[in-house]
Amino acid sequence: MTTTDVLTGPAASVHPRTAPARIWNVVRLHLVDRRTYIGIPWLIVGLAFVITVFIAQIIGFTTGGLGTPEAIEGQRYSWAVLSPQWYLIVVGVQAISFGFPLALGFGVTRRDFYLGTALLFVLISAANALAFAVLTQLEQLTNGWYMHTYMFNALWLGVDGFWVDLFSFFVMQLLVFFIGASVATIYMRWRMSGMLVFWSALALTIVGTITLITFTSSWPTVAIWLAAQGIAGIFAWLLVPAAVAGFGGFLALRRATPKN
Amino acid sequence: MTLTDTDTAVRVVGLTKKFGTFTAIDDVSFTVERNKIYGLLGRNGAGKTTLMQLLTGQQFATSGTLDVFGASPVENARVLQSVCFIKESQKYPDSFRADHVFASAPWFFANWDAAFAARLVDDFRLPLKRPIKKLSRGQLSAVGVIVGLASRAPLTFFDEPYLGLDAVARQIFYDRLLEDYAEHPRTVILSTHLIDEVSNLLEHVLVIDEGRILMDQDADELRGTASTVVGKKTDVDAFVAGRDVISRDGIGGLASVTVGGLGEAERAAARAAGLELSPVSLQQLIVQRTTSTTATTASPASPASPTIDPTVTKIDAWSARS
Repeated sequence: MTTTDVLTGPAASVHPRTAPARIWNVVRLHLVDRRTYIGIPWLIVGLAFVITVFIAQIIGFTTGGLGTPEAIEGQRYSWAVLSPQWYLIVVGVQAISFGFPLALGFGVTRRDFYLGTALLFVLISAANALAFAVLTQLEQLTNGWYMHTYMFNALWLGVDGFWVDLFSFFVMQLLVFFIGASVATIYMRWRMSGMLVFWSALALTIVGTITLITFTSSWPTVAIWLAAQGIAGIFAWLLVPAAVAGFGGFLALRRATPKN
Repeated sequence: MTLTDTDTAVRVVGLTKKFGTFTAIDDVSFTVERNKIYGLLGRNGAGKTTLMQLLTGQQFATSGTLDVFGASPVENARVLQSVCFIKESQKYPDSFRADHVFASAPWFFANWDAAFAARLVDDFRLPLKRPIKKLSRGQLSAVGVIVGLASRAPLTFFDEPYLGLDAVARQIFYDRLLEDYAEHPRTVILSTHLIDEVSNLLEHVLVIDEGRILMDQDADELRGTASTVVGKKTDVDAFVAGRDVISRDGIGGLASVTVGGLGEAERAAARAAGLELSPVSLQQLIVQRTTSTTATTASPASPASPTIDPTVTKIDAWSARS
Protein backbone atom coordinates (compact mmCIF):
# COMPACT_ATOMS: atom_id res chain seq x y z
CA MET A 1 0.00 0.00 0.00
CA THR A 2 1.41 3.37 -1.00
CA THR A 3 0.98 6.80 0.48
CA THR A 4 -1.26 7.90 -2.37
CA ASP A 5 -3.71 5.11 -1.55
CA VAL A 6 -3.98 6.47 1.97
CA LEU A 7 -4.51 10.04 0.84
CA THR A 8 -7.31 9.16 -1.56
CA GLY A 9 -9.15 6.99 0.93
CA PRO A 10 -12.93 7.42 1.13
CA ALA A 11 -14.61 9.71 3.61
CA ALA A 12 -15.77 7.95 6.72
CA SER A 13 -18.75 10.14 7.44
CA VAL A 14 -21.89 9.37 5.51
CA HIS A 15 -23.21 12.93 5.70
CA PRO A 16 -20.33 15.37 5.25
CA ARG A 17 -21.45 18.90 6.01
CA THR A 18 -20.64 21.96 3.93
CA ALA A 19 -18.48 24.75 5.31
CA PRO A 20 -21.39 27.24 5.79
CA ALA A 21 -23.38 24.58 7.67
CA ARG A 22 -20.39 23.78 9.89
CA ILE A 23 -19.77 27.46 10.68
CA TRP A 24 -23.46 28.07 11.42
CA ASN A 25 -23.44 25.08 13.79
CA VAL A 26 -20.68 26.79 15.79
CA VAL A 27 -22.95 29.87 16.09
CA ARG A 28 -25.73 27.58 17.34
CA LEU A 29 -23.35 25.91 19.81
CA HIS A 30 -22.57 29.31 21.37
CA LEU A 31 -26.29 30.12 21.52
CA VAL A 32 -27.54 26.76 22.82
CA ASP A 33 -27.61 28.38 26.25
CA ARG A 34 -29.55 31.56 25.43
CA ARG A 35 -28.81 33.09 28.82
CA THR A 36 -25.15 33.79 28.00
CA TYR A 37 -25.54 36.17 25.05
CA ILE A 38 -29.16 37.32 25.41
CA GLY A 39 -30.74 36.58 28.80
CA ILE A 40 -28.13 37.86 31.23
CA PRO A 41 -27.08 41.01 29.26
CA TRP A 42 -30.71 42.17 29.02
CA LEU A 43 -31.32 41.29 32.65
CA ILE A 44 -28.40 43.59 33.49
CA VAL A 45 -29.88 46.35 31.29
CA GLY A 46 -33.22 45.92 33.07
CA LEU A 47 -31.64 46.14 36.51
CA ALA A 48 -29.58 49.16 35.44
CA PHE A 49 -32.78 50.85 34.24
CA VAL A 50 -34.56 50.28 37.55
CA ILE A 51 -31.57 51.70 39.43
CA THR A 52 -31.43 54.65 37.01
CA VAL A 53 -35.12 55.43 37.70
CA PHE A 54 -34.44 55.54 41.44
CA ILE A 55 -31.33 57.67 41.09
CA ALA A 56 -33.12 60.08 38.72
CA GLN A 57 -35.91 60.49 41.28
CA ILE A 58 -33.38 61.19 44.03
CA ILE A 59 -31.61 63.78 41.87
CA GLY A 60 -34.97 65.31 40.94
CA PHE A 61 -36.01 65.53 44.60
CA THR A 62 -32.79 67.17 45.76
CA THR A 63 -32.33 69.59 42.82
CA GLY A 64 -35.96 70.58 42.54
CA GLY A 65 -37.20 68.95 39.40
CA LEU A 66 -36.27 66.65 36.51
CA GLY A 67 -36.79 67.53 32.86
CA THR A 68 -34.80 70.76 33.00
CA PRO A 69 -32.01 71.01 30.41
CA GLU A 70 -29.44 70.85 33.22
CA ALA A 71 -30.96 67.66 34.66
CA ILE A 72 -31.07 66.01 31.21
CA GLU A 73 -27.46 67.04 30.58
CA GLY A 74 -26.47 65.73 34.02
CA GLN A 75 -27.87 62.28 33.26
CA ARG A 76 -25.54 62.07 30.23
CA TYR A 77 -22.67 61.23 32.57
CA SER A 78 -24.30 57.97 33.66
CA TRP A 79 -22.54 54.80 32.47
CA ALA A 80 -25.64 52.68 33.08
CA VAL A 81 -26.12 52.18 29.33
CA LEU A 82 -22.78 50.36 29.19
CA SER A 83 -23.47 48.16 32.23
CA PRO A 84 -23.74 44.85 30.29
CA GLN A 85 -20.37 45.47 28.60
CA TRP A 86 -18.33 44.41 31.63
CA TYR A 87 -20.16 41.11 31.57
CA LEU A 88 -19.88 40.79 27.78
CA ILE A 89 -16.11 41.18 27.78
CA VAL A 90 -16.02 38.12 30.08
CA VAL A 91 -18.37 36.36 27.65
CA GLY A 92 -15.86 37.12 24.88
CA VAL A 93 -13.10 35.52 26.99
CA GLN A 94 -15.22 32.45 27.76
CA ALA A 95 -16.29 32.00 24.14
CA ILE A 96 -12.68 30.95 23.55
CA SER A 97 -11.58 29.52 26.90
CA PHE A 98 -14.59 27.17 27.22
CA GLY A 99 -16.03 27.15 23.70
CA PHE A 100 -12.80 26.17 21.96
CA PRO A 101 -12.06 22.97 23.94
CA LEU A 102 -15.70 21.84 23.60
CA ALA A 103 -15.81 22.55 19.86
CA LEU A 104 -12.61 20.55 19.32
CA GLY A 105 -14.13 17.65 21.28
CA PHE A 106 -17.11 17.83 18.90
CA GLY A 107 -14.72 17.45 15.93
CA VAL A 108 -14.79 21.10 14.78
CA THR A 109 -11.73 22.54 13.04
CA ARG A 110 -10.06 25.63 14.48
CA ARG A 111 -10.92 27.54 11.32
CA ASP A 112 -14.64 26.69 11.48
CA PHE A 113 -14.71 27.42 15.20
CA TYR A 114 -13.15 30.86 14.80
CA LEU A 115 -15.26 31.85 11.80
CA GLY A 116 -18.42 30.73 13.59
CA THR A 117 -17.45 32.61 16.73
CA ALA A 118 -16.63 35.77 14.74
CA LEU A 119 -19.95 35.50 12.89
CA LEU A 120 -21.74 35.19 16.24
CA PHE A 121 -19.97 38.33 17.52
CA VAL A 122 -21.01 40.28 14.40
CA LEU A 123 -24.63 39.10 14.67
CA ILE A 124 -24.96 39.83 18.40
CA SER A 125 -23.24 43.22 17.95
CA ALA A 126 -25.64 44.14 15.15
CA ALA A 127 -28.66 43.07 17.19
CA ASN A 128 -27.49 44.95 20.29
CA ALA A 129 -26.65 48.06 18.23
CA LEU A 130 -30.11 48.06 16.67
CA ALA A 131 -31.81 47.56 20.04
CA PHE A 132 -29.85 50.28 21.83
CA ALA A 133 -30.21 52.78 18.93
CA VAL A 134 -33.98 52.19 18.86
CA LEU A 135 -34.26 52.48 22.66
CA THR A 136 -32.31 55.75 22.49
CA GLN A 137 -34.84 57.12 19.97
CA LEU A 138 -37.81 55.87 22.02
CA GLU A 139 -36.40 57.52 25.11
CA GLN A 140 -36.25 60.85 23.28
CA LEU A 141 -39.75 60.43 21.83
CA THR A 142 -41.27 59.66 25.24
CA ASN A 143 -39.35 62.43 27.01
CA GLY A 144 -37.48 59.90 29.12
CA TRP A 145 -40.17 57.22 29.41
CA TYR A 146 -42.72 59.87 30.52
CA MET A 147 -40.76 60.42 33.74
CA HIS A 148 -37.74 62.41 32.54
CA THR A 149 -35.43 59.49 33.17
CA TYR A 150 -32.67 59.17 30.60
CA MET A 151 -30.49 56.06 30.55
CA PHE A 152 -29.89 55.46 26.82
CA ASN A 153 -29.30 59.09 25.91
CA ALA A 154 -26.01 59.03 27.74
CA LEU A 155 -22.31 59.44 26.97
CA TRP A 156 -22.12 59.73 23.15
CA LEU A 157 -25.49 58.10 22.40
CA GLY A 158 -28.43 60.22 21.23
CA VAL A 159 -26.17 63.09 20.16
CA ASP A 160 -25.69 62.64 16.41
CA GLY A 161 -28.86 60.73 15.58
CA PHE A 162 -30.01 57.17 14.97
CA TRP A 163 -27.46 56.07 12.34
CA VAL A 164 -24.43 57.29 14.28
CA ASP A 165 -25.80 55.55 17.41
CA LEU A 166 -26.29 52.34 15.42
CA PHE A 167 -22.81 52.43 13.91
CA SER A 168 -20.96 53.49 17.06
CA PHE A 169 -22.67 50.92 19.28
CA PHE A 170 -21.98 48.18 16.73
CA VAL A 171 -18.26 49.03 16.65
CA MET A 172 -18.05 49.31 20.43
CA GLN A 173 -19.79 45.94 20.92
CA LEU A 174 -17.58 44.26 18.34
CA LEU A 175 -14.48 45.68 20.03
CA VAL A 176 -15.62 44.40 23.45
CA PHE A 177 -16.16 40.86 22.12
CA PHE A 178 -12.98 40.69 20.05
CA ILE A 179 -10.75 42.13 22.79
CA GLY A 180 -12.07 39.54 25.25
CA ALA A 181 -11.71 36.74 22.68
CA SER A 182 -8.22 37.73 21.52
CA VAL A 183 -6.86 37.93 25.08
CA ALA A 184 -8.28 34.42 25.72
CA THR A 185 -6.79 33.24 22.44
CA ILE A 186 -3.33 34.54 23.34
CA TYR A 187 -3.61 32.58 26.59
CA MET A 188 -4.84 29.47 24.75
CA ARG A 189 -1.91 29.63 22.33
CA TRP A 190 1.00 30.80 24.52
CA ARG A 191 -0.31 30.33 28.07
CA MET A 192 1.28 32.42 30.83
CA SER A 193 4.27 33.64 28.81
CA GLY A 194 1.85 34.97 26.17
CA MET A 195 -0.06 36.91 28.83
CA LEU A 196 3.16 38.43 30.23
CA VAL A 197 4.36 39.54 26.79
CA PHE A 198 0.95 40.82 25.75
CA TRP A 199 0.14 42.86 28.84
CA SER A 200 3.65 44.31 29.20
CA ALA A 201 3.72 45.21 25.49
CA LEU A 202 0.30 46.86 25.81
CA ALA A 203 1.30 48.80 28.93
CA LEU A 204 4.57 49.95 27.31
CA THR A 205 2.75 51.04 24.15
CA ILE A 206 0.24 53.11 26.13
CA VAL A 207 2.85 54.69 28.40
CA GLY A 208 5.16 55.29 25.42
CA THR A 209 2.40 57.00 23.42
CA ILE A 210 1.45 59.26 26.33
CA THR A 211 5.11 60.13 26.92
CA LEU A 212 5.63 60.93 23.25
CA ILE A 213 2.55 63.18 23.07
CA THR A 214 3.48 64.96 26.31
CA PHE A 215 7.17 65.51 25.41
CA THR A 216 6.28 66.90 21.99
CA SER A 217 3.57 69.08 23.60
CA SER A 218 1.05 67.60 21.17
CA TRP A 219 -2.00 67.33 23.46
CA PRO A 220 -3.78 70.35 21.89
CA THR A 221 -3.17 68.84 18.43
CA VAL A 222 -4.58 65.50 19.60
CA ALA A 223 -7.65 67.17 21.07
CA ILE A 224 -8.26 69.15 17.87
CA TRP A 225 -7.84 66.00 15.79
CA LEU A 226 -10.30 64.04 17.96
CA ALA A 227 -12.86 66.82 17.83
CA ALA A 228 -12.53 66.98 14.05
CA GLN A 229 -13.27 63.26 13.75
CA GLY A 230 -16.64 63.53 15.45
CA ILE A 231 -18.39 60.56 17.08
CA ALA A 232 -18.75 58.60 13.85
CA GLY A 233 -15.12 59.27 12.92
CA ILE A 234 -13.73 58.13 16.26
CA PHE A 235 -15.72 54.90 16.14
CA ALA A 236 -14.65 54.36 12.54
CA TRP A 237 -11.05 54.49 13.83
CA LEU A 238 -11.97 51.99 16.56
CA LEU A 239 -12.74 49.51 13.79
CA VAL A 240 -8.95 49.26 13.37
CA PRO A 241 -8.23 47.71 16.81
CA ALA A 242 -11.36 45.55 16.43
CA ALA A 243 -10.07 44.23 13.11
CA VAL A 244 -6.54 43.73 14.51
CA ALA A 245 -7.97 41.76 17.46
CA GLY A 246 -10.23 39.77 15.10
CA PHE A 247 -7.58 38.79 12.54
CA GLY A 248 -4.82 38.42 15.13
CA GLY A 249 -7.06 36.08 17.12
CA PHE A 250 -7.63 33.99 14.00
CA LEU A 251 -3.90 33.65 13.31
CA ALA A 252 -3.14 32.80 16.96
CA LEU A 253 -5.94 30.24 17.25
CA ARG A 254 -4.90 28.35 14.12
CA ARG A 255 -2.01 26.79 16.08
CA ALA A 256 -3.57 26.82 19.56
CA THR A 257 -4.12 23.65 21.59
CA PRO A 258 -6.61 23.16 24.40
CA LYS A 259 -5.21 22.65 27.88
CA ASN A 260 -5.29 19.19 29.40
CA MET B 1 0.02 -7.24 6.47
CA THR B 2 -2.29 -6.99 3.48
CA LEU B 3 -4.38 -4.08 4.61
CA THR B 4 -6.12 -1.93 2.05
CA ASP B 5 -6.94 1.70 2.75
CA THR B 6 -10.59 0.88 3.40
CA ASP B 7 -9.58 -1.35 6.30
CA THR B 8 -7.44 1.24 8.00
CA ALA B 9 -8.85 3.90 10.31
CA VAL B 10 -5.56 5.20 11.66
CA ARG B 11 -2.02 4.91 10.33
CA VAL B 12 0.83 6.35 12.35
CA VAL B 13 4.45 6.27 11.22
CA GLY B 14 7.36 7.58 13.28
CA LEU B 15 5.16 9.93 15.28
CA THR B 16 6.94 12.12 17.82
CA LYS B 17 5.55 14.85 20.05
CA LYS B 18 7.83 16.97 22.21
CA PHE B 19 6.78 19.57 24.77
CA GLY B 20 9.97 21.58 25.11
CA THR B 21 12.62 19.08 26.12
CA PHE B 22 10.07 16.49 27.29
CA THR B 23 9.26 13.79 24.74
CA ALA B 24 5.62 12.79 25.31
CA ILE B 25 5.35 10.54 22.24
CA ASP B 26 8.57 8.97 21.04
CA ASP B 27 8.80 7.67 17.45
CA VAL B 28 5.57 5.67 17.54
CA SER B 29 4.25 3.60 14.62
CA PHE B 30 1.05 1.56 14.49
CA THR B 31 -2.16 1.09 12.54
CA VAL B 32 -5.74 0.85 13.73
CA GLU B 33 -8.09 -1.26 11.67
CA ARG B 34 -11.64 -0.14 11.07
CA ASN B 35 -14.56 -1.47 13.09
CA LYS B 36 -12.57 -2.92 15.94
CA ILE B 37 -12.37 -2.04 19.61
CA TYR B 38 -8.86 -1.05 20.66
CA GLY B 39 -7.59 -0.72 24.19
CA LEU B 40 -5.03 2.05 24.66
CA LEU B 41 -3.45 0.99 27.92
CA GLY B 42 -0.76 2.59 29.98
CA ARG B 43 0.07 4.23 33.25
CA ASN B 44 -0.59 7.84 34.13
CA GLY B 45 1.63 10.11 32.11
CA ALA B 46 2.42 7.34 29.62
CA GLY B 47 1.18 9.54 26.75
CA LYS B 48 -2.34 8.15 26.20
CA THR B 49 -4.15 11.48 26.17
CA THR B 50 -1.43 13.17 24.11
CA LEU B 51 -1.64 10.38 21.54
CA MET B 52 -5.42 10.72 21.34
CA GLN B 53 -5.10 14.50 21.02
CA LEU B 54 -2.67 14.00 18.14
CA LEU B 55 -5.07 11.56 16.45
CA THR B 56 -7.90 14.11 16.71
CA GLY B 57 -5.90 17.10 15.51
CA GLN B 58 -6.01 18.80 18.91
CA GLN B 59 -2.22 18.67 19.22
CA PHE B 60 0.36 19.18 16.51
CA ALA B 61 2.96 16.48 15.91
CA THR B 62 6.64 17.40 16.19
CA SER B 63 7.57 14.88 13.49
CA GLY B 64 6.27 11.79 11.78
CA THR B 65 3.14 11.14 9.78
CA LEU B 66 -0.36 10.56 11.02
CA ASP B 67 -3.36 9.62 8.89
CA VAL B 68 -6.94 9.22 10.07
CA PHE B 69 -9.31 7.86 7.41
CA GLY B 70 -6.61 8.48 4.85
CA ALA B 71 -5.56 12.05 5.64
CA SER B 72 -4.01 14.18 8.34
CA PRO B 73 -6.68 15.06 10.91
CA VAL B 74 -5.22 18.51 11.59
CA GLU B 75 -7.74 21.16 10.51
CA ASN B 76 -9.35 18.57 8.23
CA ALA B 77 -13.12 19.02 8.46
CA ARG B 78 -13.85 15.87 6.44
CA VAL B 79 -11.85 13.69 8.84
CA LEU B 80 -12.85 15.45 12.06
CA GLN B 81 -16.58 15.17 11.31
CA SER B 82 -16.08 11.42 11.69
CA VAL B 83 -14.27 11.66 15.02
CA CYS B 84 -15.61 12.01 18.56
CA PHE B 85 -13.20 12.67 21.42
CA ILE B 86 -14.61 13.84 24.74
CA LYS B 87 -11.57 14.02 27.00
CA GLU B 88 -11.62 12.82 30.56
CA SER B 89 -10.85 16.45 31.54
CA GLN B 90 -13.24 17.96 28.97
CA LYS B 91 -14.16 21.58 29.65
CA TYR B 92 -17.70 22.86 29.10
CA PRO B 93 -18.96 26.46 29.02
CA ASP B 94 -19.49 27.79 32.52
CA SER B 95 -23.28 27.89 32.49
CA PHE B 96 -23.75 24.63 30.56
CA ARG B 97 -26.03 21.88 31.75
CA ALA B 98 -25.97 18.33 30.39
CA ASP B 99 -29.06 19.06 28.27
CA HIS B 100 -27.12 21.80 26.47
CA VAL B 101 -24.45 19.27 25.53
CA PHE B 102 -26.97 16.74 24.21
CA ALA B 103 -28.92 19.47 22.38
CA SER B 104 -25.84 20.67 20.50
CA ALA B 105 -24.09 17.34 19.87
CA PRO B 106 -26.42 16.34 16.95
CA TRP B 107 -25.24 19.42 15.02
CA PHE B 108 -21.74 17.95 14.94
CA PHE B 109 -22.35 14.19 14.73
CA ALA B 110 -24.29 13.11 11.68
CA ASN B 111 -25.11 9.70 13.15
CA TRP B 112 -26.37 11.06 16.50
CA ASP B 113 -29.19 8.96 17.97
CA ALA B 114 -31.27 11.12 20.32
CA ALA B 115 -33.40 8.22 21.55
CA PHE B 116 -30.28 6.26 22.46
CA ALA B 117 -28.90 9.32 24.28
CA ALA B 118 -32.16 9.68 26.24
CA ARG B 119 -32.03 6.02 27.22
CA LEU B 120 -28.43 6.39 28.39
CA VAL B 121 -29.38 9.46 30.46
CA ASP B 122 -31.93 7.28 32.25
CA ASP B 123 -29.45 4.42 32.61
CA PHE B 124 -26.83 6.65 34.20
CA ARG B 125 -29.43 8.69 36.15
CA LEU B 126 -27.81 11.85 34.90
CA PRO B 127 -29.47 15.10 36.05
CA LEU B 128 -30.01 17.09 32.85
CA LYS B 129 -30.89 20.42 34.45
CA ARG B 130 -27.99 20.68 36.89
CA PRO B 131 -25.03 22.89 35.90
CA ILE B 132 -22.18 20.70 34.68
CA LYS B 133 -19.74 22.29 37.10
CA LYS B 134 -21.91 20.99 39.96
CA LEU B 135 -21.97 17.39 38.70
CA SER B 136 -20.02 14.71 40.54
CA ARG B 137 -16.96 13.17 38.91
CA GLY B 138 -18.98 10.12 37.88
CA GLN B 139 -21.80 12.21 36.41
CA LEU B 140 -19.24 14.25 34.50
CA SER B 141 -17.80 11.03 33.07
CA ALA B 142 -21.33 9.95 32.16
CA VAL B 143 -21.79 13.08 30.02
CA GLY B 144 -18.71 12.16 27.98
CA VAL B 145 -19.70 8.50 27.77
CA ILE B 146 -23.19 9.38 26.50
CA VAL B 147 -21.79 11.73 23.83
CA GLY B 148 -19.29 9.06 22.81
CA LEU B 149 -21.91 6.33 22.52
CA ALA B 150 -24.82 8.28 21.01
CA SER B 151 -22.64 10.12 18.48
CA ARG B 152 -21.86 6.81 16.73
CA ALA B 153 -18.85 8.54 15.19
CA PRO B 154 -16.90 6.25 12.83
CA LEU B 155 -13.87 6.80 15.09
CA THR B 156 -14.81 7.19 18.76
CA PHE B 157 -12.39 7.77 21.61
CA PHE B 158 -13.20 7.06 25.23
CA ASP B 159 -10.63 8.64 27.55
CA GLU B 160 -10.66 6.85 30.90
CA PRO B 161 -14.46 6.81 30.72
CA TYR B 162 -14.95 4.95 34.00
CA LEU B 163 -13.49 7.71 36.24
CA GLY B 164 -15.81 8.19 39.20
CA LEU B 165 -18.44 5.83 37.79
CA ASP B 166 -19.80 3.26 40.22
CA ALA B 167 -19.67 -0.45 39.40
CA VAL B 168 -23.25 -0.50 38.07
CA ALA B 169 -22.66 2.47 35.79
CA ARG B 170 -19.42 0.95 34.49
CA GLN B 171 -21.22 -2.29 33.67
CA ILE B 172 -23.95 -0.31 31.89
CA PHE B 173 -21.29 1.43 29.84
CA TYR B 174 -19.62 -1.84 28.82
CA ASP B 175 -22.98 -3.47 28.00
CA ARG B 176 -24.30 -0.54 25.96
CA LEU B 177 -21.00 -0.16 24.11
CA LEU B 178 -21.00 -3.81 23.12
CA GLU B 179 -24.70 -3.89 22.15
CA ASP B 180 -24.48 -0.73 20.10
CA TYR B 181 -21.16 -1.70 18.54
CA ALA B 182 -22.72 -4.98 17.37
CA GLU B 183 -25.52 -3.08 15.61
CA HIS B 184 -23.44 -0.14 14.41
CA PRO B 185 -19.85 -1.27 13.95
CA ARG B 186 -17.29 1.49 14.29
CA THR B 187 -13.72 1.98 15.41
CA VAL B 188 -13.43 2.51 19.14
CA ILE B 189 -10.26 3.46 21.01
CA LEU B 190 -10.65 3.09 24.74
CA SER B 191 -7.97 4.37 27.07
CA THR B 192 -8.06 2.78 30.49
CA HIS B 193 -6.13 1.39 33.44
CA LEU B 194 -8.88 -1.07 34.40
CA ILE B 195 -7.67 -3.68 31.96
CA ASP B 196 -9.49 -6.67 33.42
CA GLU B 197 -12.85 -4.91 33.41
CA VAL B 198 -12.65 -4.18 29.71
CA SER B 199 -10.63 -7.18 28.62
CA ASN B 200 -13.70 -8.90 27.17
CA LEU B 201 -14.47 -5.82 25.07
CA LEU B 202 -11.03 -5.38 23.62
CA GLU B 203 -10.11 -6.93 20.31
CA HIS B 204 -6.71 -5.36 20.11
CA VAL B 205 -4.33 -4.00 22.70
CA LEU B 206 -1.93 -1.07 22.40
CA VAL B 207 0.22 -0.62 25.47
CA ILE B 208 2.05 2.68 25.75
CA ASP B 209 4.69 3.60 28.28
CA GLU B 210 6.90 6.68 28.44
CA GLY B 211 5.70 7.66 24.97
CA ARG B 212 6.59 4.36 23.30
CA ILE B 213 4.35 1.53 22.14
CA LEU B 214 5.37 -1.50 24.22
CA MET B 215 2.77 -3.86 22.89
CA ASP B 216 0.61 -3.87 19.77
CA GLN B 217 -1.18 -7.16 19.67
CA ASP B 218 -4.46 -8.91 19.08
CA ALA B 219 -6.11 -9.45 22.46
CA ASP B 220 -6.78 -13.16 21.93
CA GLU B 221 -3.29 -13.79 20.62
CA LEU B 222 -1.91 -11.96 23.62
CA ARG B 223 -3.90 -14.10 26.03
CA GLY B 224 -2.53 -17.22 24.29
CA THR B 225 1.07 -16.10 24.64
CA ALA B 226 1.35 -17.12 28.26
CA SER B 227 -0.04 -19.39 30.89
CA THR B 228 0.54 -19.90 34.56
CA VAL B 229 1.86 -23.25 35.74
CA VAL B 230 0.96 -24.13 39.33
CA GLY B 231 2.18 -27.10 41.34
CA LYS B 232 4.88 -28.41 43.62
CA LYS B 233 7.96 -26.22 43.46
CA THR B 234 10.26 -29.04 42.31
CA ASP B 235 7.87 -30.14 39.54
CA VAL B 236 7.26 -26.60 38.36
CA ASP B 237 10.97 -25.81 38.34
CA ALA B 238 11.65 -28.94 36.32
CA PHE B 239 8.94 -28.04 33.81
CA VAL B 240 9.85 -24.39 33.31
CA ALA B 241 13.59 -24.95 33.08
CA GLY B 242 14.83 -23.37 29.87
CA ARG B 243 11.50 -21.68 29.11
CA ASP B 244 10.67 -17.97 28.84
CA VAL B 245 9.69 -17.27 32.43
CA ILE B 246 7.63 -14.08 32.72
CA SER B 247 7.07 -14.11 36.45
CA ARG B 248 7.49 -16.37 39.42
CA ASP B 249 5.58 -16.58 42.65
CA GLY B 250 5.38 -19.12 45.42
CA ILE B 251 4.56 -20.02 48.98
CA GLY B 252 6.38 -22.78 50.84
CA GLY B 253 6.69 -25.83 48.63
CA LEU B 254 4.24 -24.50 46.03
CA ALA B 255 5.19 -22.45 43.02
CA SER B 256 3.25 -20.51 40.43
CA VAL B 257 5.21 -19.53 37.37
CA THR B 258 3.97 -17.68 34.31
CA VAL B 259 5.70 -18.82 31.15
CA GLY B 260 5.39 -17.69 27.58
CA GLY B 261 4.33 -19.64 24.50
CA LEU B 262 3.10 -23.09 25.50
CA GLY B 263 1.94 -25.31 22.63
CA GLU B 264 -0.73 -27.98 22.88
CA ALA B 265 1.83 -30.76 23.36
CA GLU B 266 3.58 -28.82 26.09
CA ARG B 267 0.28 -28.19 27.86
CA ALA B 268 -0.43 -31.93 27.79
CA ALA B 269 3.04 -32.61 29.15
CA ALA B 270 2.46 -30.18 32.00
CA ARG B 271 -0.83 -31.82 32.91
CA ALA B 272 0.85 -35.24 32.77
CA ALA B 273 3.47 -33.97 35.19
CA GLY B 274 0.69 -33.19 37.67
CA LEU B 275 0.80 -29.44 37.13
CA GLU B 276 -2.18 -27.16 36.88
CA LEU B 277 -2.46 -24.67 34.04
CA SER B 278 -4.45 -21.49 34.58
CA PRO B 279 -5.14 -18.67 32.16
CA VAL B 280 -3.35 -15.40 32.69
CA SER B 281 -5.51 -12.31 33.00
CA LEU B 282 -4.84 -9.64 30.42
CA GLN B 283 -4.07 -7.16 33.17
CA GLN B 284 -1.53 -9.44 34.86
CA LEU B 285 0.08 -10.26 31.57
CA ILE B 286 0.41 -6.63 30.54
CA VAL B 287 1.69 -5.60 33.94
CA GLN B 288 4.25 -8.42 33.91
CA ARG B 289 5.31 -7.83 30.33
CA THR B 290 5.65 -4.08 30.76
CA THR B 291 7.39 -4.47 34.11
CA SER B 292 9.98 -6.88 32.78
CA THR B 293 10.46 -4.75 29.68
CA THR B 294 11.08 -1.74 31.86
CA ALA B 295 13.44 -3.69 34.07
CA THR B 296 15.49 -5.10 31.20
CA THR B 297 15.12 -2.48 28.51
CA ALA B 298 18.60 -3.18 27.20
CA SER B 299 18.05 -6.92 26.70
CA PRO B 300 14.59 -7.77 25.36
CA ALA B 301 15.32 -11.50 25.65
CA SER B 302 14.95 -11.03 29.44
CA PRO B 303 17.45 -13.63 30.62
CA ALA B 304 16.93 -12.95 34.29
CA SER B 305 13.42 -13.52 35.54
CA PRO B 306 12.33 -10.86 37.98
CA THR B 307 12.21 -11.96 41.59
CA ILE B 308 8.89 -12.09 43.37
CA ASP B 309 8.98 -8.96 45.42
CA PRO B 310 9.65 -6.27 42.81
CA THR B 311 6.96 -7.70 40.55
CA VAL B 312 4.40 -7.66 43.30
CA THR B 313 5.35 -4.16 44.29
CA LYS B 314 5.00 -2.98 40.73
CA ILE B 315 1.61 -4.64 40.32
CA ASP B 316 0.51 -2.90 43.48
CA ALA B 317 1.86 0.37 42.25
CA TRP B 318 -0.11 -0.07 39.03
CA SER B 319 -3.35 -0.91 40.85
CA ALA B 320 -2.91 1.92 43.30
CA ARG B 321 -2.63 4.39 40.47
CA SER B 322 -5.73 3.14 38.68
